[in-house]
Amino acid sequence: MRYANSSASKQVASAIRRNDFGVFRRVARRHLATESTAAPKKKPRIVRRIFFATATLTGSFYVGSAFLAFNNPDYYDFFSEHVPLGQTMLEYGEANHWDTMTLHSAIDYTVRTATSLKDFVTEKVNGAPTTVKEVKTMAEKTAHDAKAATIRTIAASKERVKDVAAHVKTDVQKGEDKVTGKAAAIAKHQSEELIEGLSDLVKKAEEALALKPGSSSNPPGAPTENESTPEFKTTDVYEAPLPVGFEPPPGFSRPPTPKKEPPPPKYVDLPLVAPAVSDLASSEPIISHLAGTIDNLASFLKSNPEAASRVTDVLDLAKADLSSLAQRIEGAKEEERKGLETMLDEQTREYTLKLLEVEMEAQDRLDNQEEEFRKLFDLRQSQLVQTYRQKLEEELKTQTDLINERLKNEVIAQGIELQRRWIREIKMRVEEERGGRLAKIDELSTQLKRIERVALDNSAYLDENIRIHALWSAIRALSSSALSSHVRKPFREELRVVRHISAAREDPVVSAALETLETSEIPDIGVEPFADLASWYTTSVAPKVSTVALVPDQDAGLLSHLASHLLSSFRFKRHGLVEGNDVLSVLSRAEYYLNEKDLDSATRELNQLSGTAKVMLNDWLEAARKRLEVEQALEVVHAQATLASLLIV
Amino acid sequence: MSSSKPVSSEDILGQKYDRCLADFLVKTGVGFSVGVVASVILFKRRTFPIALSTGFGAGAAYSDCDRSFNPARIPGTRIIPAASSASPVVPAEPEHKHQL
Repeated sequence: MRYANSSASKQVASAIRRNDFGVFRRVARRHLATESTAAPKKKPRIVRRIFFATATLTGSFYVGSAFLAFNNPDYYDFFSEHVPLGQTMLEYGEANHWDTMTLHSAIDYTVRTATSLKDFVTEKVNGAPTTVKEVKTMAEKTAHDAKAATIRTIAASKERVKDVAAHVKTDVQKGEDKVTGKAAAIAKHQSEELIEGLSDLVKKAEEALALKPGSSSNPPGAPTENESTPEFKTTDVYEAPLPVGFEPPPGFSRPPTPKKEPPPPKYVDLPLVAPAVSDLASSEPIISHLAGTIDNLASFLKSNPEAASRVTDVLDLAKADLSSLAQRIEGAKEEERKGLETMLDEQTREYTLKLLEVEMEAQDRLDNQEEEFRKLFDLRQSQLVQTYRQKLEEELKTQTDLINERLKNEVIAQGIELQRRWIREIKMRVEEERGGRLAKIDELSTQLKRIERVALDNSAYLDENIRIHALWSAIRALSSSALSSHVRKPFREELRVVRHISAAREDPVVSAALETLETSEIPDIGVEPFADLASWYTTSVAPKVSTVALVPDQDAGLLSHLASHLLSSFRFKRHGLVEGNDVLSVLSRAEYYLNEKDLDSATRELNQLSGTAKVMLNDWLEAARKRLEVEQALEVVHAQATLASLLIV
Repeated sequence: MSSSKPVSSEDILGQKYDRCLADFLVKTGVGFSVGVVASVILFKRRTFPIALSTGFGAGAAYSDCDRSFNPARIPGTRIIPAASSASPVVPAEPEHKHQL
């Protein structure tokens, strides 16, 4: 709503600006037209005219642009950047304080120049009346200048007025959007009237100037403008384009407008003692008449300048007319003012009522709007809340997802950790158990070793036993085969077995004993059994030896042998254990020992014999000795075996 | 002297006796026969050559037999017993032989 308002005001302002330009252009055109009307008379000055026109155009353009630039920052930028010499112009303007210059000061300045010009012109005129034409032209020129200045100021004032009007219009429009109708129309009308009046006034002033340059008509013209300007100057406050979003509060700007509109007549009227009253009363029908008289006067003056003296009558008449007119106008004005005041009061009342209404409406609307806004706000809030809740939910979801993910990861990590710990624990347990089992196994192994040792010992014992047993068996076999058999038979096989068995035991004694036995040829031949030896001795050896018992040991020839043989048959046979060293007693003792089964002793007895008897006993002794050898070796082995068996047990 | 079967030691003497007898018979018979021949041829049938030659035979046989019983009895030598160690010639060797 506010934006709409502001945009509307902007549009209006732009429209006004366009309008202003249009007015300015129009004025310029008019100005040109006035110039062109003057040009045809002076043809040889075409170049100068063109020069002046261009000079004025450029000067007005630059000056106007400078002023416009000071008022409009956008145009300031454009002017300074794109127009040649614009920057210097602006600098110059800034140096001369154009930007701060007000319309009033400008008008003052122009008035001052105009008065100085007038003084100068009058001086010239008085000093040199002959050169009236020149003076006239000069005056015309100056008047032209002044006119231009006035026109410019008037245009500016018009602008101001228009602005004011527009402002008023806009204010009114703002204040009473729908009810503008009358008030706006009235205001418009008033402003238009004012503008028309002013333009007319300008025309008249022109005419007056054209008629009587340097006359008293000029000074009053200035004050009018002088007076008309200040009243509008107050509105200058609202001249500047309002910033965006700003607008004069409806309650603030409106009250001054009705006050300001009535003053113009007041101010205009008050100083009107002079013929200027006639200017203000241009709306009156009498003015036409007055204009006619003035035209007449002008025409008259033109036709014959010498008749200036006669003009006084006409002027007096005109004066009288004017005074009457003024009086009449004053009265009318008074009436009008009163009427207007009453009307304004009414209008103010009306407008205050309307304003109140509008205010109420606006209040209502505002309330409605507020409510709407509140609703909208609530809606938006709820929407926002919803959206934020959704966002929050999403965030929460994402967060929960993230947390869940993290938790899952942590759970997995913990699971892995726990698994690892379990595995470690299991490993430890396994190690412990293994250690326990290993300890048990160690125990078992030690026990087993003990058992093994025992077993080994046992086996060694057993082996030893077996060996001894085998040895015993072998010895028994050997003794049975070698000694106790009834026939002589070889026993090398048995001896070999015994030797092998005993060699395992590495008994040096046994091995030595068996060695000697083995190296001899006894095992191959065998040993005579004892019975055989005994029988051999008793049957053949003993009788034959006894026949040579008397043979001497040395030089025993045939005769001694024959004698012994013959004589021995005559000797007594001895028996039993008898003493004596002779052959017969030895033989008997040997026989005795043999009967006692003592081969050793018997052999020892017989071995003591010498000579022929010994030669006779040789074979038997040999056999007996062999048998004794075997017997002795076997006895040694036997003893060793006994010792071994005793050692084992 | 040599036989296929070794004679046991106690039968050595009987064997010597047998051999002496056989030698005596052979030698006396040879002497007898030589005496007969000589008496017939040379001595015109006289008896003394027969008795002489028989005696030679018998004598040779005896000496041989004696030597077989006592081999140490070699003509020209005498074996002195160990107790009387005065004899210088061949003192102990035959004795040893005999003993062994």
